[in-house]
Amino acid sequence: MTREITYIEAIAEALGEELERDDDVVLFGEDVEEFGGNFGETAGLHEKYGGDRVRNTPLSEIGIAGMALGAAVGGIRPVAELQFADFAATAGDEVFNQIPKQPYVSGGRLSAPLTIFAPSGAGIGAGAQHSQSVHSWIGNVPGWVVVTATTPYDAKGLLKSSIRDDNPVFFLPHKMLSEMKGEVPEEEYTLPLGESVVEQEGEDVTVVATQVMFHRAKEAAADLDLDVELINPRTFAPLDTDTIAESVEKTGHLVVVDETVERYGTQGYIANEIVENNFFSLDGPPKTIGVKDVPIPVSPALEQEVLPSVKRIRAGIKSVF
Amino acid sequence: MAIDEETSKRFLREMLRIREFEDEIKTRFQEGEIPGFVHLDYGHEGTHVGMSQAMRDDDWLAVGGARLVGQYVAKGVPLGEIMAELYGKSGGSNKGYGGQMHVSDVGRKLYGHAATIGSGQNPAVGLAFAEEMKGTDNVAVTTIGDGGTSRGSFHTALVFASYWDLPVVFVIENNQWAISTPSSALSPDNLSDYGIPHKIPNESIDGSNVETVYETVSEAIERARNGEGPSVIESRVARLGPHFEGDKQTYRDETEFEEERELKDPLKNYRKQLLDDGVVTEQDIDEMIEAIRAEVQEAIEFARESPEPEPETAYENVYRTPLYGQGE
Ligand SMILES: Cc1ncc(C[n+]2csc(CCOP(=O)(O)OP(=O)(O)O)c2C)c(N)n1
Repeated sequence: MTREITYIEAIAEALGEELERDDDVVLFGEDVEEFGGNFGETAGLHEKYGGDRVRNTPLSEIGIAGMALGAAVGGIRPVAELQFADFAATAGDEVFNQIPKQPYVSGGRLSAPLTIFAPSGAGIGAGAQHSQSVHSWIGNVPGWVVVTATTPYDAKGLLKSSIRDDNPVFFLPHKMLSEMKGEVPEEEYTLPLGESVVEQEGEDVTVVATQVMFHRAKEAAADLDLDVELINPRTFAPLDTDTIAESVEKTGHLVVVDETVERYGTQGYIANEIVENNFFSLDGPPKTIGVKDVPIPVSPALEQEVLPSVKRIRAGIKSVF
Repeated sequence: MAIDEETSKRFLREMLRIREFEDEIKTRFQEGEIPGFVHLDYGHEGTHVGMSQAMRDDDWLAVGGARLVGQYVAKGVPLGEIMAELYGKSGGSNKGYGGQMHVSDVGRKLYGHAATIGSGQNPAVGLAFAEEMKGTDNVAVTTIGDGGTSRGSFHTALVFASYWDLPVVFVIENNQWAISTPSSALSPDNLSDYGIPHKIPNESIDGSNVETVYETVSEAIERARNGEGPSVIESRVARLGPHFEGDKQTYRDETEFEEERELKDPLKNYRKQLLDDGVVTEQDIDEMIEAIRAEVQEAIEFARESPEPEPETAYENVYRTPLYGQGE
């Protein structure tokens, strides 16, 4: 049985179900109690699970992330919320040096089964410090599992898996998708981490995209006289390149669209993996499309200019032929 | 708090273990057997031993500051495992992945140091939080140097610990130097004053006296166990060695340094006190040292004989695999 719910409702359900399932799961962050989280993602959870399990924190990402690390090492499963993914930078040492590295430098003695929940992405006119897509920053540090959510179905299934995973997971929902509706099963389900999915089969060109870019790519593909295979990587790190390589083997063409900036973004990494390992599957050079190399501006006219548009994606797909 | 003779002897033995072990590390480092850099604890032995003897085995020690090895020893990690880790060998506590700065041992409730100084305190608050959620009365003790207290992360940890009234004991080991920057240039009279705005019980003590440290930390731990929240203790010590081996200490006044070595050596002072009080004899001490030297030699042999890690193990332990749901 499925029904249509919004992406944010799917997230709230995932959090609620995991709090219900496992007493070790604890949720904390700024304004997660009565306020219910900036996007409504924690609405009702404090009331239901109480002040021990769902807690407001003081305003400090260093504290939120650093405490999550200790709590996870100490044997509980924290879901630590950052109000915006950009704030990964205000907990820079925790995010880049501590959390992803402690399990490794301990020679595997420590595990840090925590989830950082951090809405990312541009499109709401929130400006340069509230709109970034940070999965290339985070994915750059081995040790983080980096997960994004493209649909309500993904959001629920992947968030539940993230909470259950024994690694530190950076879970990045996209704030522009909050109100998007989609089919989500009534029954309990999880989705595997570290596996890409073919969302739409096609013979002519492989397009890899997530979050808002996935939806734009789908729209762009619908207007083209081409049979587009659409792949949603779901997990950016570690990345399942096998599924992408198999697809390129079939189509001979690759386009990667993502909301990280083009300079040192994820697009280049994904394309490089295929060029280096599957060069002879390609009938031509791959195309990468990302956010132009500027901070995200506020004015909607400027903001939409720097984000990959349906039109730019369509042109990008055409350009590989 | 009266300290019985057995306890005093244990304090002395543990301080001797740190000193003897570190003397050997120093030599091994000079001989080129230990890679990287080493930070030794000369002058900190009393604070490390007093603090750890006040703890139960089930209490977490989250090592911060830069004086590390003595804390690992005091927490009970076998010397061989520490030495092999310093050598970067596979028999090390962390199989050579961590080295001097990252010895961790979950089984012994030792949380590895954050090599970015001052980043260990928030995890310590998290460890205390986990213990509280699990319904234990275990506490977390976390150390930091005077230098580290300038970082925002340290102050954030105080905010979080007091916000949730968590069982954490912050020990600031003020050895008066952050490499070459003197702590006397920092504004607070005592670094424990940083607890004041948070209404956290705070105290500044002579950290070169092992018994004072033991008593003060015991009281703080007692409060934490009883649900009375965090404490901040400044343990004032002298850094009786260089910042790291090889530091020429040109920034230090030689006469003052000599004076400190004369007056503030916790081991020398405690040894004299116990001899004066008739708790131990010279012969007892010689016997202790002899046994410790044998233990240290064994640790060295263990480290030397321990195999180098297989190069391909460099790719292990980045992720726990399979990831959730994979391959189902
Ligand atoms: C965040 C950070 N900044 C700088 C350093 C370099 N560093 C290592 S130890 C040290 C001094 C530490 O002094 P203190 O905290 O007083 O500890 P002590 O060495 O005196 O025990 C510095 C500056 C570091 N490791 N981490």
